[in-house]
Amino acid sequence: MKRLIFSALALSLLATPALAQDTPRMGGVLKAAMIGEPPSLDLHWTTAVITQQITWHIYETLYTYDKNLQPIPMLAESHTVTDGGRRYTITLRKNVKFHNGKEMTSADVVPSLQRWGKMSTTGKALWKSVEAVEAKDPYTVVIHLKEPSGSLLFGLGSPNNGAAIYPKDVMAAAGEGQIKEFIGTGPYRFIEHKPDRHIKLARFKEYAARSEPADGGYGGKRVAYFDEILFIPVPDEAVRLAGVETGEYHYAQTIKADQYDRVKSLPALEPQVVKPYGWITAVPNHKQGVMANKKVRQAFLAALDMEPIMSAAIGNKAFYRLEGALFYPEQAAFHSTSGVTGYSQKNPTKAKALLAEAGYKGEPVRWITTKEYDWMYNAALVAKQQMEAAGFVVDLQVLDWATLVQRRNKPELYDIFSTGFTLGADPAIATSIQCNWPGWWCNEEKERLVAEMLKETDPKKRKAQIERVQAIFYDDVGRVKFGDYFTFQVTRKELRGFRPQPFLYFWNSWLAK
Amino acid sequence: MTVYVIRRLIAVIPVMLVVATVSFVLIRLAPGDPASVIAGPYASAEDIAQMQRALGLDQPLPVQLVKWWGRLARGNLGDSIFLRRPVIEAILERLEPTLLLTAWSMLVAVLVGIPVGVISARHHNTVLDQSFMALALLGLSVPNFLLGLLMILCFGVWLGWLPVAGYAALETGLWPNLRSLIMPALALGLVQSALIARITRSSMLDVLREQYILSGRSKGLSERTVIYKHALKNAIIPTLTVIGITFALLVGGAVVIETVFNIPGLGRLIISAVLRRDYPVVQGVVLLIAVTYTAINLLVDLAYLAIDPRIRFR
Repeated sequence: MKRLIFSALALSLLATPALAQDTPRMGGVLKAAMIGEPPSLDLHWTTAVITQQITWHIYETLYTYDKNLQPIPMLAESHTVTDGGRRYTITLRKNVKFHNGKEMTSADVVPSLQRWGKMSTTGKALWKSVEAVEAKDPYTVVIHLKEPSGSLLFGLGSPNNGAAIYPKDVMAAAGEGQIKEFIGTGPYRFIEHKPDRHIKLARFKEYAARSEPADGGYGGKRVAYFDEILFIPVPDEAVRLAGVETGEYHYAQTIKADQYDRVKSLPALEPQVVKPYGWITAVPNHKQGVMANKKVRQAFLAALDMEPIMSAAIGNKAFYRLEGALFYPEQAAFHSTSGVTGYSQKNPTKAKALLAEAGYKGEPVRWITTKEYDWMYNAALVAKQQMEAAGFVVDLQVLDWATLVQRRNKPELYDIFSTGFTLGADPAIATSIQCNWPGWWCNEEKERLVAEMLKETDPKKRKAQIERVQAIFYDDVGRVKFGDYFTFQVTRKELRGFRPQPFLYFWNSWLAK
Repeated sequence: MTVYVIRRLIAVIPVMLVVATVSFVLIRLAPGDPASVIAGPYASAEDIAQMQRALGLDQPLPVQLVKWWGRLARGNLGDSIFLRRPVIEAILERLEPTLLLTAWSMLVAVLVGIPVGVISARHHNTVLDQSFMALALLGLSVPNFLLGLLMILCFGVWLGWLPVAGYAALETGLWPNLRSLIMPALALGLVQSALIARITRSSMLDVLREQYILSGRSKGLSERTVIYKHALKNAIIPTLTVIGITFALLVGGAVVIETVFNIPGLGRLIISAVLRRDYPVVQGVVLLIAVTYTAINLLVDLAYLAIDPRIRFR
């Protein structure tokens, strides 16, 4: 009995500090080791993921996503849809202040949306169906559409290259160029950017948080617990890991999966798996060259065995998934395996027959890839061997990333390029199926379906459209999806409340002790 | 002497013009462009073209080149595409860490290299000499980034004596600044000291065979005086040349070491500028390095004059 009491006492002693630490605490400076520098701090300007990761602590959008990646209001209070789905009347939240102290009104929202629709990749895709945006009164914005849209709210909520709401003066000062002042309504405000040293954000004391509790996605109440956040560019992965190990950083981005077991064994660290994150992809050139022939593309797909490719690319099995569907199982509304035919066929004989049918005579397939993202190169290397076993001649060209992204816009320069697609929240505007993107996968039936999907608001009908697009994706070999991959991030134990998410954020996290 | 310096200074102008033009052309010959980097991975070709127009990169190359010369003549290096500030400002911001890192590394290289070279020569063909030279060979063969990573592991992660990476500016205090530079300076300097040691040793050996050394010894001068006063002074000329070259090697090495140790210096600036095709920054930094290199060369030549009175420049 005595022993029992003693152990209970000991347990309670052990448990108390843990509980105390789990109560959120204000204060401290969060140091986050990032892979590099953002190319711009203007969210409308760039689709670079790192810009979104840093700046969406500063800027906010009218909508955001819940934990099932469905759009929910953020700066918007509510909306009504009238005129057969062609008019969205959005009511804005009141008393939301920008970091410059001014209140956000429709006078800021309308030019922000217009600028976004003119500049951003997602915005431009949506703006094809937008007729006009107008301010009805200071707290009401009306979006007139040419036709109903199932993608509008998804697009307005998209974090990447998102529809950030800026103050009107900031946009006026920028003219056609990038914004020069980084002012938003977010929980943290921009303090300074010292290139290669840090980007410093500080808590915005007058932040107007939403009243609903955080739901585990991106919506609800956002709290800035840290006094400051320092986003520190640390390009060397070994140094990011060493730094988080010694306590110099609290968070380290993109660590190789083969470090997982080691990190797990270190008591001060917490391994974080971001699941899902993206696909590893090879994009064939549909416009010009050998891959413009459908039979050759089908031979390419038939030759592949995805397991060794993904294993070479990622290494640790906990960080990839053999999955051929266009959307992730975590996106329940869009995920389906119907139409996924031809993923990982491992059939060199079929590939050879298809090549013979296509009249392929050993023309070299120019595959451009990069070692800057080693998973791209490693995947390409294994796929190359599998293609060669099926009779392809592959010329693997290793470039730096900046060269690759320029060359992939020139159809005469390559037949396949390596890339990854990160999570896109709306199927109709997902880069993976766009026709005007490098690779130029334009297919009459698919374009018709995508156009329909853009208009469709009924989730069931959208899912059926996705299934048909998927079938075309595999028959026409729009792109070759090797599989899903997850990224590995490392945090220190004292960083609490952190959720590994496809879209990184630090609000609602705090530092214990 | 003054005429000589002036002549050398005037000769710098065409060199700079060539460097400015070559760096302009070379960086543009490299495939890839800043617009596609800014636009990001999911941008379409039209988005990138729109970005190029916004950045003024759609103008023909000769027009851009003439504009660059024009700006240069007015002493303006242009504005960085990514950093949203003038190139000269970006360079000045990065000067402190690189200068300090180079200075400390140079100190390490000289303070280790010259004594090791002299001691090796003095104890020629002994175990001491051979072990020093074996170490020097090892030093020359180990890439500085590897040495840097090993040091991070040893002194940063295992022992926890020094910060693994990052830079504490001078304004945060002398000690934090020094602490953040110890490992990178050692990684950079030790590798260079190997080169200096080998050159010092061989040039000392040559000098020690000279008649006047023999005569000095025979008239009863102490070994100390013979070595440090008579031999070293004559043997140091080739070492000086190497120290001048070392500076260039250090700047090259700093590019790598600054990345490994996450030091926001000129090396990091140029690496990220090249990777992102930030044309004005690449041109500006290359030009600055060329100016510095020419200046160091001139200083080395003038130092010969101070050390060896037989040398006269005309």
